[in-house]
Amino acid sequence: MNKAARPKPAGLWISKTVVRVLLLLWTLIVLYPVFWTFITSLKNNQQVMLGKPWDFPSVMHFENYANVWSRAHFGSYFMNSILVTAGSTILSLALASTTAYILARYSFKGRGVLYFIYIASMMIPTTLGLIPLFFLLNDMHLSNSLLGLTLVYSVGTIGILPLGIFFLVGFYKTLPKELEEAATIDGSSLSGIFLRIMLPLSSPGMITVGIMNALTVWNEYIMATVLINDPMKYTIPVGIAVMQGEMQYRTEWGPLFAGLSISMIPVIVMYVIYQRQITGGLTAGALKG
Amino acid sequence: MIKLNNKPKAGYAARRRLFIAGFLLPTFILFSIFTIYPLLRGLYLSFFDWSGGSETMNFIGFGNYKDLLDDEVIPGAIKNDYFLVFWKVILIMLFATFFAVSLTRLKLKEYGLYRVIFFFPNIISVSVIGVLWSFIYNPHLGFLNSFLSLFTQKSVDTNWLGDSHLAMWSLLPPSVWAGIGFYMLLIIASILGIPSSLYEAASMDGAGQWKQFTKITLPLIWEQFKTSIIHIVITTLNGSFIIVKLMTDGGPDNHTQVLGYYLYQMGFKQFHLSYGATIGVLILILSIITTLILQRLLRRDTIEM
Amino acid sequence: MNMKLRKKATGGMALLLVLMSLAGCGGGAKETTTQPTPETKSTAQTDTDKPKEETKDTQGSDPKVTGDFEIQYFVGGYGDSWWKEMLGEFQKKYPDVKIKESAGSQINDQMKPRWIQGNPPDLVYIDGAGSNETQMVKDDQLMDISEWVKQAKNVDGEALTAPLIAPPQDYGGGKNYTIPLVFGSWGTFYDESLFKEKGWDVPKDWDSFLAVSEKIKAAGINPYIHTGKYPYYIVGGLLNSGFVSENGDNPQILKDQEANKEGSFKNDAVAKTLKKVVEMRDKGFFDNASFGITHTDSQMLFLQHKDAMIPNGLWVENEMKKDVPQGFKFGFIPSVMQKPGGKVVAIPYTSNIAIAKKAKNPDAAKAFIEFIFTKKEAVRWAELTGALMNVKADLDSSGASDVVKTAMKYFNDPATIVAPVFKLNADLEQTENDATIALLQKTITPEEWMDRMEKAAAKSR
Repeated sequence: MNKAARPKPAGLWISKTVVRVLLLLWTLIVLYPVFWTFITSLKNNQQVMLGKPWDFPSVMHFENYANVWSRAHFGSYFMNSILVTAGSTILSLALASTTAYILARYSFKGRGVLYFIYIASMMIPTTLGLIPLFFLLNDMHLSNSLLGLTLVYSVGTIGILPLGIFFLVGFYKTLPKELEEAATIDGSSLSGIFLRIMLPLSSPGMITVGIMNALTVWNEYIMATVLINDPMKYTIPVGIAVMQGEMQYRTEWGPLFAGLSISMIPVIVMYVIYQRQITGGLTAGALKG
Repeated sequence: MIKLNNKPKAGYAARRRLFIAGFLLPTFILFSIFTIYPLLRGLYLSFFDWSGGSETMNFIGFGNYKDLLDDEVIPGAIKNDYFLVFWKVILIMLFATFFAVSLTRLKLKEYGLYRVIFFFPNIISVSVIGVLWSFIYNPHLGFLNSFLSLFTQKSVDTNWLGDSHLAMWSLLPPSVWAGIGFYMLLIIASILGIPSSLYEAASMDGAGQWKQFTKITLPLIWEQFKTSIIHIVITTLNGSFIIVKLMTDGGPDNHTQVLGYYLYQMGFKQFHLSYGATIGVLILILSIITTLILQRLLRRDTIEM
Repeated sequence: MNMKLRKKATGGMALLLVLMSLAGCGGGAKETTTQPTPETKSTAQTDTDKPKEETKDTQGSDPKVTGDFEIQYFVGGYGDSWWKEMLGEFQKKYPDVKIKESAGSQINDQMKPRWIQGNPPDLVYIDGAGSNETQMVKDDQLMDISEWVKQAKNVDGEALTAPLIAPPQDYGGGKNYTIPLVFGSWGTFYDESLFKEKGWDVPKDWDSFLAVSEKIKAAGINPYIHTGKYPYYIVGGLLNSGFVSENGDNPQILKDQEANKEGSFKNDAVAKTLKKVVEMRDKGFFDNASFGITHTDSQMLFLQHKDAMIPNGLWVENEMKKDVPQGFKFGFIPSVMQKPGGKVVAIPYTSNIAIAKKAKNPDAAKAFIEFIFTKKEAVRWAELTGALMNVKADLDSSGASDVVKTAMKYFNDPATIVAPVFKLNADLEQTENDATIALLQKTITPEEWMDRMEKAAAKSR
C-alpha cells in the first residue's frame, strides 16, 4: 500500500467504493452471458419456451451434451484450431521478427517504401482477398488443407503479419544498441547477433504479438469457411456456425447451447491455467511497444 | 543505424547485403504471394462483370464503379460502418481507460482477478459471441427483455434486432463487450510503464486523481491510446462483417448493412463476385483515408508537463 | 548464450514439426474425403456416412453404372432420411458404384468453390440458402438434359416425365436443365384445434380473414406472425397469391415478374395487394416479434399459440414435428386475399435436381434420377418428409400428413388457381425481401415498394 501523501483518505475511500461497484457490475455483465449459456444448455425446448430465461432448469437435460457431441466433431475442431493457430502464430512471428529487425536497425534503399507497404496492407479487407486466395490455394494443391489455411493466416490478407512487423519494429527501436555494438566488436556474425542477442531481448514483444495474433487466428471465421469444406477439418468457429445453421432447421436450442458450452469449456480451462501468461504477456510487451 | 566502419574485413558490404536480403526476402515473397497478389487480383476483378460461377468474365472497365455510385445501399452501409467505428472507439476507449486507471491507480487488491475476468470475452470465438447475443436479444426467449420486465409493469417485448431504429444500436453492446478487455490490457501496460515518482510528486503538490489522470496518465499513454484507436478503427471497418452476418444479415431492410457484409452478400449471395471486389476496393480506400485523417487528428505533443 | 541458441533451435524444430504435421493432414486429405478420415479417432461418431451395406445383394445389378458417384444435397426441413434410404437402395441395386454424399445445411456455401473451380459433384439437389438454379443455368454449370428427359424412363419402365406434377422448367428455347423433385405450396397455416376451441371461423377470403383476425386480436393473441429474417416466407405465403387474385386470377403476372418485365411490379394488382398488407399492418395484426427472427423461432411462437396464423410452406409440419404441442392440429389455406366468392390461389414451389455440366459420372446421375422418380419413392418421400414429391401418387393410404393431403385436394380442385412455378433472380428476390420488410415497418409506402422493384427489374434486364 502506498502510504505516501494521501490528501483526502475519505474521498479516496468513496471513490474506491464507487469504482468497486462499477467493476463488480461489469464483472456480472461479462460473466452472466456465459453462465446463461450453461443454464440454457441443460434445458429442453419446453423449458426454453417458458419465457423464463433466468430460471434454472427444473430437470437437467444432460443428454443435450451427448446429443451435440455425437453429431459435431468437437475433438477434431479443437485439434484443427490448435494446429492452425500454433502453426500460423509461429510462422508469422518468425517472418515478422526478421523483417522488423532489419527495418528497425538497418538503413537501405527502399526501406521506407517497404515499411509503408506492410503498414498499408493492414487495411486490406479480409474478404477482398478471399476469392483470389481460394484459387491460389487450389493451384498450389493446398485447398481444403490445414497447411493452406495456416499459410493464409500467417501471410495472407487477415493482416497478422503486418501487425507483427508494425509492433516489433517499434519494439526493436526501444532496445539499446550498445549490446549489438559490443557483440560486433567480439566478432559475432550478423545473424548471430540477431539470434543470440536481439531475439532473447525482444521476447516480451514477441509474446505480446504472438498472443494478439493467436487470438485473431483462433477466432477467424470467414477464411476458414470458404477455404475448408471437409467437416473433419473445420476449425471451432466454422464448426459452431455450421452447428448453428443445422440447429436452425431442427429448433434444438438446448443442444445448440450445449455445443457453445463445449466449445468454451477447454478455452476457459486453458485460460484459467495460463491467465497470468496471457494477460501478463500482453502487458509485458506492450509496455515497451 | 549501426555503422560498422571499425570492421575493415573485405566483403563486409556484400555480407551485409546478403544478410539483409536473407532476412527480408522470405517474408516479402510469401507476403507478395498471399497478400499482394490477391489484392491485385481483386482490383483486376473489379473491372469485370463476373458472377463468380461461370467460366467467362466480361471486361466492363469502370462499370462496377459507376454502379457503386448509383447503389442506394452503399451510403447507408458507409454510414453504419462509421457509426460502429465512432461508438466503438468512444465506448471501448472510455471503458477500457476507466478500468485500466481504476485497476492500476487505485491499487485495488482484486486487480489481478478483474484483469483476468475483463479480458475473458476476448478469448471467446466470435461465432459464439454472435450466436449467444442473438439469443440474449431474442424478443421472447432472451434474457434482456426478461430482465427489463423486472422493472416494468407490462412485460417488455422490444424487438432489438428487428426494429429498424434499434438494430444498429443493438450491434454495439456485443462488439464493445468483446473488445474492452484487450485494449484495457494495452492501456494498463502503458500506465505501469509510467514511473511512480511522477504520481508521488503530483500527490505531494495536492493534485487529485482526476488531475493526475489528465496531467500525467493521459499524456504519457497517448501513444498507446492512439495506436489502440487506430487499431479499433481498422478492425471495425474490416471486421464488422462477422457480427452482422451472425446477427442480422444486414436487415431489416439494410438498416444494419455494413460494407463488409454487403461485399459478402453481393459476391456470394447475389452472384456478383466482381461487384463484391469493387466494394472491397472501396473499403480499402476508406480505411486508408480514415487512418491518415486519424493520424493527423491524434497528433499531439506526447508529453505536456 | 548457448542455452539461448539451443532454445531457439528447439523452437525451430517445433515449428518444423507443426508444419510437417500440417502438411501431413493437408496431403492426406485430398484422397480421403470420401470416407471420414480415420486418423481423427476422437470423433468416431459420424452421421453423414455412406450406407453400410455395400456388398450385400448383388442380383439385378446393371453393369453400366459403376465408378464414383457424388451427390450434393441440402439438408433442411425435409431431413435426410429419404436421401439415406434412396442412396442405400441405389447402392444395393448397383453394388459397383461408389457413392459420395456431400450433404448438410451449409452445403451450398461449402460446395460453391468446387463449382467455381469446375470440379462439381455429379448430381445436385438445389435447395436452401445460397442456392439458385436460375443462376446456375446462367453460369452454365448445369447439363442440358432437354433431349434425355424426353425419352428417359424410370426404373418402373414408365416415361420419366409422365407422372410429374410440375414439368421440368423451360429455360427458353425448350431447354431443360433441372427436374423438380419437391413440389409444394405456400399458404397460411393455423391450428385447427385452437380455431375450433375459440369458435373462430377459418378464413375463406379477405373479408373473413380480416374479421377473424379482429377476433383473434381481441382474444389477446397476435393474429399473424412471419419470418422477418427471411421475408420470402411472407412474400410466398401472402403477397404472391394476392398479386394473382388482384390480377383477375391471372397468374401470368408472376411469370412476368420472373422475366423482369417492365410494369410487372408496378400495376393495379400489386398496388391493391400492398394496400391490403398495409391494412393488416395498420390494424396491428402482425406480431412485432416477427422482425429479425428466423423461421424456426417464428414457428415456435406459432406453435405456442402466441400467434394464430403464419405464412409458410408445406414442409413446416414435418420441420416442427417434435415440438408440436399435444392437441395441435395443423390447418392450411393456400390464400386469403381473394374477394368473397373468389377463387383460391395456390402458389407452388419446387426444389429441383440437376446434373452438373461437368459431371464426371453423368450416367450414374441419370440412373439415380430414373431410380427415384417413381410412385413408390414418392410415397416414401411423403411418409418420411411429410411433404410432396413432384410425382403424382396415391397418398390417401400413405402415412403422409394431413396438411399434405389437404394441399393435394386443393391442387386437384378445379376451383383452385394453381400458379405456375416461378423464381425471381437473386437480386430481385433480395430487393423484394427488403422492400417488404420496409413496408411492414412503415419506412416506405406501397408506391416506393413498387418503384424499388421496378428499378431492380430494370437493372436486371
